[in-house]
Amino acid sequence: MKIEVLFPETCCLYGDLQNAKYLAAACGAEIRWTACSDEPLFARETPDLLYLGSAPESAQERAAAALMPYKDRLRELVDGGANILATGNASELFGRRVTGDDGADFAGLGLFDYEARREMMNRYNGLYLGKFGDMDIVGFKSQFAHLYGADDLPPLFETVRGDGRNRSEKREGVHVHNFMATYLLGPMMILNPDFAKYVLTLMGAEDPSLPFEQAAYDAFERRLAEFSDPARHFVY
Amino acid sequence: MRLLRYNATNYPGELAIRLCPDFLKHIGKPKTIIAVTGTNGKTTVSNLLCDTLEKAGKRPLNNRLGSNIASGIATSLLSGADIFGKCRFDLAVFETDERSAPRIYPYVQPDYIVITNLFRDSIMRNAHPEYIAGILSKYIPAKAKLVVNADDLISCRVAPQCERVYYGLERLPSDLTACINLINDMRTCPRCGAHLRYEYLRYHHIGKAYCETCGFQSPGYDYGGTADLGGMTVAVRDKDGSGVYPLPSDAVFNIYNIVTVVAALRELGYSHEELMPLMRDAHIVETRYSAWEAGGVRVVMQMAKDRNALACSRAFDYVTGQPGRKKVLMMMNNLSDEKNWSENVCWLYDCDFEFLTREGVELVAATGPRAYDYRLRLLIAGVPEERIVCFPDELEAASHLDLKPGDCVYILHGTDSVDTANKVRDKLLDIAREAAK
Repeated sequence: MKIEVLFPETCCLYGDLQNAKYLAAACGAEIRWTACSDEPLFARETPDLLYLGSAPESAQERAAAALMPYKDRLRELVDGGANILATGNASELFGRRVTGDDGADFAGLGLFDYEARREMMNRYNGLYLGKFGDMDIVGFKSQFAHLYGADDLPPLFETVRGDGRNRSEKREGVHVHNFMATYLLGPMMILNPDFAKYVLTLMGAEDPSLPFEQAAYDAFERRLAEFSDPARHFVY
Repeated sequence: MRLLRYNATNYPGELAIRLCPDFLKHIGKPKTIIAVTGTNGKTTVSNLLCDTLEKAGKRPLNNRLGSNIASGIATSLLSGADIFGKCRFDLAVFETDERSAPRIYPYVQPDYIVITNLFRDSIMRNAHPEYIAGILSKYIPAKAKLVVNADDLISCRVAPQCERVYYGLERLPSDLTACINLINDMRTCPRCGAHLRYEYLRYHHIGKAYCETCGFQSPGYDYGGTADLGGMTVAVRDKDGSGVYPLPSDAVFNIYNIVTVVAALRELGYSHEELMPLMRDAHIVETRYSAWEAGGVRVVMQMAKDRNALACSRAFDYVTGQPGRKKVLMMMNNLSDEKNWSENVCWLYDCDFEFLTREGVELVAATGPRAYDYRLRLLIAGVPEERIVCFPDELEAASHLDLKPGDCVYILHGTDSVDTANKVRDKLLDIAREAAK
């Protein structure tokens, strides 16, 4: 199995890259680290998982430019059911446009008809509790931008507590075929052992188990109990 | 004010700004203002600057007892004002929070701004170094002269509108040419975007970099330090000569702190001959590092700033590099976060817990509200399960360290767990004393 991680030299904030390492350790997959200047593996073959993580704003714009020549191929991959995971602000690149009060205004890949709007002095920090089918999902959000205009797209998670795609939208992320995008950031696979197993199954692992599975579930159960406590504040 | 649960050290300034939002503009200021900012080391550098200036007979107004945000600066300026609002001091040294630049620098315009470094810090507040560098570039006044770290290509390039001098630390025996840390936020050339190479790399993005594609390179030093770790000194050389300064600690970040202070004071006009005796007894405040001993067991309290992957990585690197048998008690939970919400633990996966797999680390205790997150992170880092104990109650964890004479226990604590860390230290010393009877 192969996991392709795009642009790890810059799209690597908040421990995001540990998602790929953890999944690879679980299923023995090889990780292909693709720099911004390299031809991506996905241009010629379909990796078992294509992953893109959070980036500083300038690197996000460079990532969009680097992926633009491959936007038709990415659309083909999405339509064909390839496994793609984008966390944090990486999810913004797959929409129509990214704009912001910092003067940002650049085209996304246009795979979906949403746009991201940044507010650089109004960072949103929140906890997240949601559902993926019957699965509980916990996580953290910390972001300058929100997604707008994704109303017709199915969400990745249904929100129980916390904000979704934007401050007035409870549905979180985008889930089209096996394209999964979410503002949850950091080691979300490690924080959510059930969801990590789901992704491993998509990748072709049979009856997957996780590294240090019991310890992962111990931490998950405690966090789930905390986040389910109505007294717990959700916005920082 | 404490009875009313107000923060007595900030309240006057906080109230003044509440009543008059541009209070900082109107209050009297000293003739010369030095601001110290950056992710790590700004408190130590500010304290060392004040200590040295006081030994030189100056009386710098400072905020060392208050906070480093606008209200702390306002409180300090209030305390230094006469009844007409005029400042009674000629000189001020203000530690300033980098994120507070928009609220401070439009009104309090420093003559010198010392920048220690810029690294990833609190995810919630600081986002990432590029964001903070952008804030500093926007709000640092053009008239300020910068004293910046040439070995840090993020912080040394902020505020291009300002004149600057560069300090740095020449190659150390422990330097590498490839990064062994999880975080390096300077992997690509800031000019052309190509892969950046390092002549030497100290940690994370700190080192001397160059780009083979476009010729970009790290700036040269106006104040270059050469450390002699055997003799525990650092020689600082500049265009007018050099001076040799004792090191209060062999941790690289503390060597940087000394070089930074020397560079700043040289810019203020002090000669090496004047500075060397003044800095002979430079020391680091005990809340950052202190060592105790009982029953043959050494207990070291080491600050490892919570929610700051880099500060904790540096602490892990330092502690695991010390000789002898080590036991590490981790208390870096952010306790104030836990009061209202739940600490964002993403930073644990930016932090080099892998260093704790090094030889000599016999046991690691995961404690506090996030103990189970620490335990999982340690396992993923490769620390064997049998070397990990996990107790949310810090004092209970202290009872399970199986102390023996010759052990060294490092208590790594955050900024708001100092009180608990003191209790844990006392308990460890009691256990060690009892065991030695």
